[in-house]
Amino acid sequence: MIEVRGLAKSFGTLRVVEDASFVARDGEITGLIGLNGAGKTTMFRLICTVLRPDRGVTLIDGVDAESDPLAARRRLGVLPDVRGLYPRLTAREHLAYFGELHGLGREEIEERVAEVVEVLRMEDFIDRRARGFSRGQQMKVALGRALVHRPHNIMLDEPTNGLDVASSRAVRDLLRRLRAEGRCILLTSHIMQEVSALADRIIVLARGRVVLDGTSAELRGATGLDDLEEIFMLATREPLAEPALAAGD
Amino acid sequence: MAAILIVFRKEMADHLRDRRSILVAMIYPLMGPILLGIMFLFVGGSMQVGGNTGAPLAVPVVHPEGAPDLVRFLEKHGVTIEHLSFDPRSLVAGGRAPLALILPDAANAGRPGPVPVHLLTNPSRFDSIVAAGRVVALLNQYQQEALRGRLHAAGLPAGIMNVLQIEQENIGRAAGPAVILLTMIPPFLIFTLFTGGVHVTLDSTIGERERGSFEPLMMNPVTLGEVLAGKLGASVIFTLMALGVQVIGFWVMLHSVPRASLGLLAPPSAVRLALVVSVCLPLAVLAAATQLLISAVTRSMKEAQTYLGLLPLIPGLAGMVLALAPVNAQPLLAAIPTFGQTLLMGQLVRNETVSWVFIAITAVATLTATGLLLLLGFRLYERETILFPA
Repeated sequence: MIEVRGLAKSFGTLRVVEDASFVARDGEITGLIGLNGAGKTTMFRLICTVLRPDRGVTLIDGVDAESDPLAARRRLGVLPDVRGLYPRLTAREHLAYFGELHGLGREEIEERVAEVVEVLRMEDFIDRRARGFSRGQQMKVALGRALVHRPHNIMLDEPTNGLDVASSRAVRDLLRRLRAEGRCILLTSHIMQEVSALADRIIVLARGRVVLDGTSAELRGATGLDDLEEIFMLATREPLAEPALAAGD
Repeated sequence: MAAILIVFRKEMADHLRDRRSILVAMIYPLMGPILLGIMFLFVGGSMQVGGNTGAPLAVPVVHPEGAPDLVRFLEKHGVTIEHLSFDPRSLVAGGRAPLALILPDAANAGRPGPVPVHLLTNPSRFDSIVAAGRVVALLNQYQQEALRGRLHAAGLPAGIMNVLQIEQENIGRAAGPAVILLTMIPPFLIFTLFTGGVHVTLDSTIGERERGSFEPLMMNPVTLGEVLAGKLGASVIFTLMALGVQVIGFWVMLHSVPRASLGLLAPPSAVRLALVVSVCLPLAVLAAATQLLISAVTRSMKEAQTYLGLLPLIPGLAGMVLALAPVNAQPLLAAIPTFGQTLLMGQLVRNETVSWVFIAITAVATLTATGLLLLLGFRLYERETILFPA
């Protein structure tokens, strides 16, 4: 479970995240959506401890991410918005490198890599070097890297960006399977249909604040609108003083 | 510790596949031995042609008929006389002849008193210096023999004109051009220390940042210190590989050149060269720490390359100055990183005695400076925005 309480972060005078609070629960997919510049990426970086908050607390399975970042990272698997691969390493070596950094043994890595390769359909390029990979292949390697240590909490920034239809469907199926296993999944996406179809709970960020937080039904009920896109446009256009629905309502 | 090794292994595997960078990094150090080897061969060749070996030496002479006895003497001692009928100044100044002799013309020949002998040389050319040395020696020898003949004719002892009897004994391990050329080796080694692993440091820090791979890397349960230590370790190994290539290159060169003609009595042994590498070990870490520091304060690979291109010149210049103005190894100088090593390496390659105290001071001072640089570099890397592409 990922719990964010009163998180705030500024870069100079620019306040990127302001007093943000929400909970991403185990066995659920939580969709974090917002316009460009709403603070989604900064929020991701704060949760996975590569940025330090000015205020607030992030708990990963109850572990305070600021006081014990390494323990928090062990419980997280993150697909960042920039995939960041090493051109001279093969896809397999990428997965093995991150597996090793998470303390996995050689046999365990082999087993996990085989698992990821099968799930993400990476057989064709698993032993090829990353230079020249298509965007879809890059995304699969980065996703595999995030999953190789079987993290309980999974954070995915635009997980289907650049994937073809079949691969996007495979990723969605994978996320549902992970949810069924009781994992906590927090994802961002610009594709409203995808968020609508996948997410059990939706959080809308605007100007660094959580302006909506609830299930699809709860958001529809609170706004009186049926279409998620319309709800999103309303929430991000109108500055709301308080979240329409607080987390846990 | 395990995380440091994992990062180190990854960086080694990654950069060993960067064949173009490896090729450049390993060929570049060979330029030193090749360049010095050419200089040794060139200087050695000049010494053999012009030296006191009895080898033929052509001397252009204006008015050879003005001193026929001298010309005969020179020819008897292996000099080929080339008759000239014009002013040889342009010939010598232009380097087309190492020197020229102007003897008195017919009108002035046979006058009482010393025979005027005008020797034109060009000290800007090494072959001219060497040839002039031989010709002057022959002229002095001719003068001594003629003087001895005159003293004998006058019934005086041959040694009456001598005030001093000079004997010169060379007790140095190397002499002449060999000393200058050997002193040029340390600056090449210093240059390699600051360039051998630079591509690894840059690619694994700024390159990682520009690729966007630093951020996902730091999402793993590893500390920044472990990651940077692993990367620096790989950089140091690549530096030492380049240094090893260069030291082997120098060893092969020094055992292949015509050393006797240069005054190089014995080239440095493999043990001495191994000591040179040992002396360089702390410097390899210092170089990596400096590169890390520069990578932390620059915004792009291009900017860092500009600074790091200039960096080796600073310690390299100290070595070049030492080559021209030798300084005695004093403990205070040992405490200056790169300067102390330059002095030590100079002593080692010239087969001179080295002080273990000096070696210890050099190592401790360099490691202390390295520690401070690393501390500063690590602090700068703690700025959280440094992980993300600019």
